[in-house]
Amino acid sequence: MSRRDIVVGLALLAALLAVPALDPSRYIIGQLTLFFIWATIVTQWNLVLGVAGIFSLAQTALFAFGGYVTGMIGLYFGWPLWFALPVGGLAAVAFSLLIGVACLRLRGAYVALLTLAISQVMYLLIITDTECFYMDGVTCRNLTGGTRGLTKYGDFGFREILGAQWILGNYYLGAAILALATLASFIIIRSPLGMAFRALRDNQVYARSRGISRFKYQLLVFAVSAFFTGLAGGFYAGHFKVMGANTLYLSLSLFLLSMVIVGGVGRVWGPLAGAATLMIADEAFKEFVEYRNLGIGAVMVLFVMLLPKGIAGTIEDTLLPRFKRAPKGEGQETG
Amino acid sequence: MAGKIRTPSDIARETLENAGRRRFFGKAAAMGVGGLAGSAALLASINDGAKAQGEPIKVGGAVPITGWAAADGIEFQRGLEFACEDINAMGGILGRPLEPVFEDTKEQGADNLIPAIQRLIDRHGVHAIINGYNTGAVCAEYDTVADAGILYIHHNTDIVHHDTVKNNAERYFGIFMGDPAEYWYGEGLLKFLNGLGEKGLWTRPNDKIAIVTGSQNYSVVIAGAIRDNAEKYGWKTSLFETVVVPISEWGPTLAKIREDPPAVIAVTHWVPQDLAQFMIQFVPQPTDSLVYMQYGPSLAAFREIGKEAVNGVLYSTVVASLQDEFGNAYNNRYKEKYGASASPLVAAQPYDSCSYWAIAGALAGGTGGPGEEAQNRKVASRLRNMIYRGTLGTTRWFIPEQAATPYPDATNDPSLGMPHQYLQIEDHTKVPGLIAPSPYETATFKMPPWIKA
Repeated sequence: MSRRDIVVGLALLAALLAVPALDPSRYIIGQLTLFFIWATIVTQWNLVLGVAGIFSLAQTALFAFGGYVTGMIGLYFGWPLWFALPVGGLAAVAFSLLIGVACLRLRGAYVALLTLAISQVMYLLIITDTECFYMDGVTCRNLTGGTRGLTKYGDFGFREILGAQWILGNYYLGAAILALATLASFIIIRSPLGMAFRALRDNQVYARSRGISRFKYQLLVFAVSAFFTGLAGGFYAGHFKVMGANTLYLSLSLFLLSMVIVGGVGRVWGPLAGAATLMIADEAFKEFVEYRNLGIGAVMVLFVMLLPKGIAGTIEDTLLPRFKRAPKGEGQETG
Repeated sequence: MAGKIRTPSDIARETLENAGRRRFFGKAAAMGVGGLAGSAALLASINDGAKAQGEPIKVGGAVPITGWAAADGIEFQRGLEFACEDINAMGGILGRPLEPVFEDTKEQGADNLIPAIQRLIDRHGVHAIINGYNTGAVCAEYDTVADAGILYIHHNTDIVHHDTVKNNAERYFGIFMGDPAEYWYGEGLLKFLNGLGEKGLWTRPNDKIAIVTGSQNYSVVIAGAIRDNAEKYGWKTSLFETVVVPISEWGPTLAKIREDPPAVIAVTHWVPQDLAQFMIQFVPQPTDSLVYMQYGPSLAAFREIGKEAVNGVLYSTVVASLQDEFGNAYNNRYKEKYGASASPLVAAQPYDSCSYWAIAGALAGGTGGPGEEAQNRKVASRLRNMIYRGTLGTTRWFIPEQAATPYPDATNDPSLGMPHQYLQIEDHTKVPGLIAPSPYETATFKMPPWIKA
């Protein structure tokens, strides 16, 4: 991790921690909390897609899995969400290992197809869950909540501690998860693991001859990214107090994937830049309701055409060298 | 008036006459404010001739203007705008005009609905949020509204609302569901079918009912309610099939139905083009079954796509504008304003809700913005005790659930419940006839053309 990364990271963290002191509206706090959730997923997706080179579309499935496990443990076992949350993360790891074993021996588009299929199967299993698992008054409840969604599993308890300011508790918890997820992605990118992926990319035969197993390392990244993605899912469940199949909509997957691309695939700061940019763009286009989707689409097209390396890639490769020659080894992490 | 039930319109008229303010009622009538006849009188009398001017009261709509429900979302938006215009023409709320503001809930769900509602509160300072439906949030947005202490009336048709409000009535004092829960579709259909038999309009060939549901919450809950109550009303579920939507290929489902022909096929999926395809594929090789569908047949697209194949289809809705004096006047004015293809029956949800909220606000001495909980508690109290006759029929609340009571599913008195309307398409080129419940009928049940017996 370079000094520049540390300075940027600490400055960002300090800024986010200081935001509540400026007494913003609850809407701003709510949107920033949502940003933490999406950015956590995108940060981990970037690891899988941009660093490990796995064209996986299973990230929202892992997110939903973590959320559902967290909610179901809270609902059916009565656990506080504080305990259910890490279990949700670990469950997502177990799920990712299953997916990984099935997918990672494949390449490219086949991985994408299989992971997308897993995500859609999960969606279908939830929405076709119509069997009565228990009665709640006059209503029949399904194991997964079915199309109605899973509810009544509680929250993180900040209302009891902070009263009307409860959302700040969620805000800081979301910020902490994002900070940890970002730190983990830094460590992986800058560690021997990141070097291994670069070696595999640059000269696969040589890397293998040196004992670097593509499958083993990819599975490891898959699992690490699943933990934080699952945590984000559990946090989503606790923040919104409902976990529904809408988290598996393809439109959400594409929105999040766009964040990775707009930010810069494989760049350490790319996911945060992409998530922030697309959420701000979405916010700006709220004023022009009829053109909202068109506007978001136009932003993405413009980025792909004008900034093919994404925001972070353009800054690192084009803008920064103009001011200062980048030290050797910095700049583009993966290619 | 002895011996006659006094409707809110009667009460309003009497109030007005006693107060010697005929000029206001005359003015309202002259404006042709159909559907607001009762409230027009009451609201105008409370406003005491005041013109809507000064600082506007913002009323919010969190509606799906984009996304899969955009067609309905746009009607919800129009319905609220239309209501505000009518209310402002009568002096607003105690002389303050209403100003509608909107936020898009896109694909809905908690992560879209909660920010939209929060934005209405923080950015616009709305005094109330009046919505059509938003799916997938399962009452998660209630805390956002309760923290702001404002009123929230929605039409999510969700039984979860009942328990949520009942179990925390103090906190959710201002949250109302303006239509009956989807649960009532189940018992309502079974009662309706048995009623057809009792009146000698139809003889069931067997006791079987085939239930086909789409994969969305609304459809599944209705299907479940039919299945769970079937035995109680003397029916057996011969098929319970969940299809993944959208769907246009109904062959496998129809094959199962044809293999074991039921007396009734209940399709609780609601997308009109999918339902039209069902009928197009069913009619060439029909079974002697009544076909009941959900919501979709009320939209023009169903009849336009299905054409002759949809003649004879039954459907019902727990919330739609009626084909009566109030409903027709409103429907005509709405179409005049927004065009023949507009759907007033969908827009009627926020239209009626905004109207009775305005009356409750005027009766309470004004409405409150975010943080003015004490004032809004007065408004909610007025609303809870109100029986309102509007374009949707009668709105009367289950207490403490604060949800509309359905008629005849939960009350035998049409003046005390929102009619669960049963309609039948006799001719696809014409508006479907309302065949139940009494006294709102405009047509009688006809045997579908595919049943030859």
